[in-house]
Amino acid sequence: MKGLHVIGVSHAFGNNRVLDNVSMMIPAGELVCLLGPSGSGKTTLMRIAAGLEPLQQGQIIIDDELVADPTMQVPPEDRGIGLMFQDYALFPHLSILDNVTFGILNQPEEQARRRAMEMLDQVNMSQHASKYPHMLSGGQQQRVALARALAPEPKLLLLDEPFSGLDTNLRGQVREDTLKVLKQSGVATVMVTHDPEEAMFMADRIKILGDNGKILQTGRPHEIYYHPQHEFVAKLFGLMNRFEGIVESGAVEIPIGRVPAGDLDDGRKVEVLVRPEGVILETDGKTGAPVDVISTHLLGHDNLVRVRLKGDAENGHDSKELYVRIHHTFEPELSTSITAGVDSEYAFIFPLDKAASPAVSGSVPRPRAAE
Amino acid sequence: MARKQSWSWLNLWTIGTVLIAAAVATPICAVIYIGLTPSDDIWAHLASTVLPLYISTTLLLMLGVGAGTLIIGVGTAWLVSTCRFPGKRMFEWALLLPIAMPAYVIAYVYTDLLEYAGPIQVLLRDAFGWTTKREYWFPEIRSLGGAISMMTLVLYPYVYLLSRAAFLEQSVCVLEASRVLGRGPWRSFFSVALPLARPAIVIGVSLALMETLNDFGTVDFFAVSTFTLGIYDVWLNMNNVAGAAQLAGLLLFFVAFLVFAERFARRKQRFHHTTSKYKALPGYDLKGWPRRLAVIGCALPILLGFAIPSIVLGGYAVTFFDAAANMDVLHHAANSVMLSSLTAFLAVAIGVFMAYGLRLRNEWIVKVMTRFASFGYAVPGSVLAVGVLISLGGLDNGIDGFMRDRYGISTGLLFSGTIAAVTFGYLVRFLALSFGSVEASLTKITPNMDGAARSLGHGPFSTLRRVHIPLIRGSALTAAVLVFVDCMKELPMTVILRPFNFHTLATYVHQFASDEQLGEASLAALAIVGFGIMPVIVLSLAITRSRPGQEEAEQPS
Repeated sequence: MKGLHVIGVSHAFGNNRVLDNVSMMIPAGELVCLLGPSGSGKTTLMRIAAGLEPLQQGQIIIDDELVADPTMQVPPEDRGIGLMFQDYALFPHLSILDNVTFGILNQPEEQARRRAMEMLDQVNMSQHASKYPHMLSGGQQQRVALARALAPEPKLLLLDEPFSGLDTNLRGQVREDTLKVLKQSGVATVMVTHDPEEAMFMADRIKILGDNGKILQTGRPHEIYYHPQHEFVAKLFGLMNRFEGIVESGAVEIPIGRVPAGDLDDGRKVEVLVRPEGVILETDGKTGAPVDVISTHLLGHDNLVRVRLKGDAENGHDSKELYVRIHHTFEPELSTSITAGVDSEYAFIFPLDKAASPAVSGSVPRPRAAE
Repeated sequence: MARKQSWSWLNLWTIGTVLIAAAVATPICAVIYIGLTPSDDIWAHLASTVLPLYISTTLLLMLGVGAGTLIIGVGTAWLVSTCRFPGKRMFEWALLLPIAMPAYVIAYVYTDLLEYAGPIQVLLRDAFGWTTKREYWFPEIRSLGGAISMMTLVLYPYVYLLSRAAFLEQSVCVLEASRVLGRGPWRSFFSVALPLARPAIVIGVSLALMETLNDFGTVDFFAVSTFTLGIYDVWLNMNNVAGAAQLAGLLLFFVAFLVFAERFARRKQRFHHTTSKYKALPGYDLKGWPRRLAVIGCALPILLGFAIPSIVLGGYAVTFFDAAANMDVLHHAANSVMLSSLTAFLAVAIGVFMAYGLRLRNEWIVKVMTRFASFGYAVPGSVLAVGVLISLGGLDNGIDGFMRDRYGISTGLLFSGTIAAVTFGYLVRFLALSFGSVEASLTKITPNMDGAARSLGHGPFSTLRRVHIPLIRGSALTAAVLVFVDCMKELPMTVILRPFNFHTLATYVHQFASDEQLGEASLAALAIVGFGIMPVIVLSLAITRSRPGQEEAEQPS
C-alpha cells in the first residue's frame, strides 16, 4: 500500500508515556488530522514517523517499506518524507528559491531550480524567489515552507501545527490555499493540530489522540462531531451541558427532555452530554423545561446564551445552568416564558458505571481552555 | 531506495568526541598522576624550604590582583555605563585596550622606566641633586608589589568587560524602581546594580586570577617566587620532573577553587532578570569635581596600561631600528602567525565537531567528555607544559620501545620538542574558548532547522556544512580570532615546549627583555600588542551590539 503505516507504536519520555500502542494507516491522497491536546504526543508521533525521534516500540512502514522498528532505523534523510514545522524553520541564510531547491537532490541544478520555481508558482510565491525569509510575512513564510516540503515530491507529508503561527483572520485563507495545493499534489498527508475546527476543515479523516497516548476515535469529521464514541472526543469541541441519569425503557430522562439511549440496557447509570446547539429554546413556552435567561453574548455568527433551569424541587433536580447556542436573533426580553428542550442529535450518552470512561466532577461543564 | 541503517553508525561523533576529550585531558591527568606518585623525597624537602614561600607569595599576588582589578574594572564599568561625562564614548572601548598588552611586556617597559638607571630616577636625581641611591626612597619595581601593579593594569579589562555587560543588561526599570522607592544614585548602585552584577564580576575576577596564575614572564623577570616560578625552578634548575609535577598538582587546587567560583557564579547568573523591558540607560550627568575625577579615573588605567608602554616601545623601535635584526623579527613573527593560525583553525574545527556531536547525540558520555575537554582553559600554562612533556615523552618512549623490540629501529623523540607539541599544548589550553563560543551559537539555532534539513534528504554532514556552518560563521570567526591572539601572546608553554632554536615573538621578546635589551625586542613586542588589539575591536563591537533595545537587530532570527 502506498502511504504511511504505523503499527503499535509506544513511546515514553522517562516515565511519561506519551504514545500507547498507536496504529494507523494513511493511504496516498488522503489527509489525516491528528487532533489532541498539547502534550498528547501527536508531535512525537510525527517526529518518530520522520525519523527525528528514535522509535522505541512498534513499526513504521512507508510505501510498503519498513523504515523503523526497535532494531533498526532508516535515517530521516533516506525516508523521502516532507516535514513542515510549526515555526517553518526556513533557512535564514538562503534565499527563498535556495530554500525550496535545498531538498531537490539528484537532479541537475537547472532542473532543480525549475522544479523549485514551479512549486513557488503553485503557492503563489514565485515573485518573492530572490528574497530572504526574514523579509516575508508569516503567511508568506508558511507558503514557502509548504513549497519546500513538497518540492522533492515526498512519499508522505507531515505538517506540525501548520497554521498556529498565523493570526486568525489570515488563517482561513491560508488553510484553503494549503488544502488546494495538498489535494493537487495527491500526497499522503498527516497534519497535527490542537484546533478541532481546523481539523474539521482540512481532514478527510480525523484521529483523536487522548491524554493517555491512545487513539480514542477515528472517523470523518461528521462522525467525530455527531457520533463521538468517547466523552473526551465529545468535549473537544468546547462547552458541553452535562446531565446524569438512568436508562429507562430505552431512553434517558433529563430535565430538558428525553434522549434515546441506543442499545444501552435499562437501569444503567449514564451521563448525557448535550452540545450548546442541542438545547432548543422556545419563546412560546409550551414544551420543555421553563428557564430563566442569565446572559446572552453575540459572538458574530451565533449567540451564546446562558440560562438557568427554574428550580423543580419535586423532580429532585437542582436549579442548573445551561449553555445554549442559537443561530438566529434572540431577544429574550420580548418574551416572558422561555422553555428549553433537547435535540437528541446533539446529545451523547456515555455509561458511568464502566471503569473505562470516568465521570467528570461538577455539574456544569467548563469550557475547555483553548491552547 | 532507502539505505537501511541502524542509528548506531552515528557513534562516529561519540567516538570522536571521546577521543578528542581524552587527548586533551591527558596532560592534566598526567600531572595529577605523577604528582600523586611518591618519588625520591623532594616533597619533604620542598615543603620544608620553599613551599611556604610559594604559597604565601601566590596568595598575596592573587589577593592584590583580585582587589586591583575589582576596583578598577567595576569602577570604570559603572562610570561609563551609567554616567555622562566628556569622552565617555571613547573610554567605552579604550578601557579594553590594556588587554592587548601581555603582562610581561608591560613589566619590561616599566622596569626600564623606573629602575635606577631609568629616565624617571635620572630625572629625579638631576632635579634634586641626589647622587646615590641612599639619599632618596623610590619604589622597587621588581617586587611583589610591582608584579601586582603590572598584572592589575593589564588584567582589569576582564572585570571591566563582564561587569559592563552586566550593567548594560540590567533593566533600567529595576534601577528606576529603586530610585522611586527613595534611594539615591549611589545607594541604588550599591544596593541594586552591584548585587545584580555580582555573578558577572565574580566571573571577571576569576578569569583575571586564572591569568595571574598562568603568568610566567612577569614573575620570572621580577623574581617573585610564585608557584609557576617554583615549577620552572624545580624542573629546569633542579631537573626534577616529579617535583615539578607535584607542585603543579598543588597549583591545580588553586585553579579548582577559581573554576568552582566561576561556575557557581555562572549558574546563579541564569535566574537573574525579572523584567525584560529595556530602555536606553538614563545616565547621571556629572558636573564639577566628580566629572573631572571620572575622566581621570577612566584615563589613568588606559594611559598606564596601554598608552605609555606603547609609546615607549614605539620610541625604542625607532631608535634601535636595525634592518638585519628586523629580518629576524619577521622570521619569528612568521613562526608565531603560523603556529597561531594552525591552532586557531584546529581549535575551531574541533570545537565545531564536538559541539555538533553534542547536538546530534545528547548522551551523558559526550556531555561529560566535552566538559572535561574544556577544563584546560583554567589550567596555568606551566602546569600544562609539564603535563604535555610528560605525556608526549611517554608516547615517544612507548613508540621507540615498540619499534626497537619489533624492528630494531630507534625512533627517538618523535613528538617532544616539535611544533606539534607546541600546537597540542595550545589546543589543550584554548580549545574551551572555541568550543564554548561555537556551542553557544549552535544552541541559538532551533533544532527544527536540523529536522528540516534532514527531512529534505541531507545527512548530518551535509546539514552541518550547508545549514549550521553558514549560520555560525560569525561566532566561529570570532572564536578563531580570540584563539589566534591568545596563542600569539602565549609564553609559559612556548618557552618549554618549543623546538630547539625556534622562536616565536613572545619567546624572542622574553629572551631579549629579560637580558635588559628591551630596545632590540621592542619591535617584536609592539607586534604582539598590535595583534592583541584585534580581539579588542571584536569584543567592543560585540558588547555594544549586545544590549537589547540599543540598536535594531540586524540579524534575522
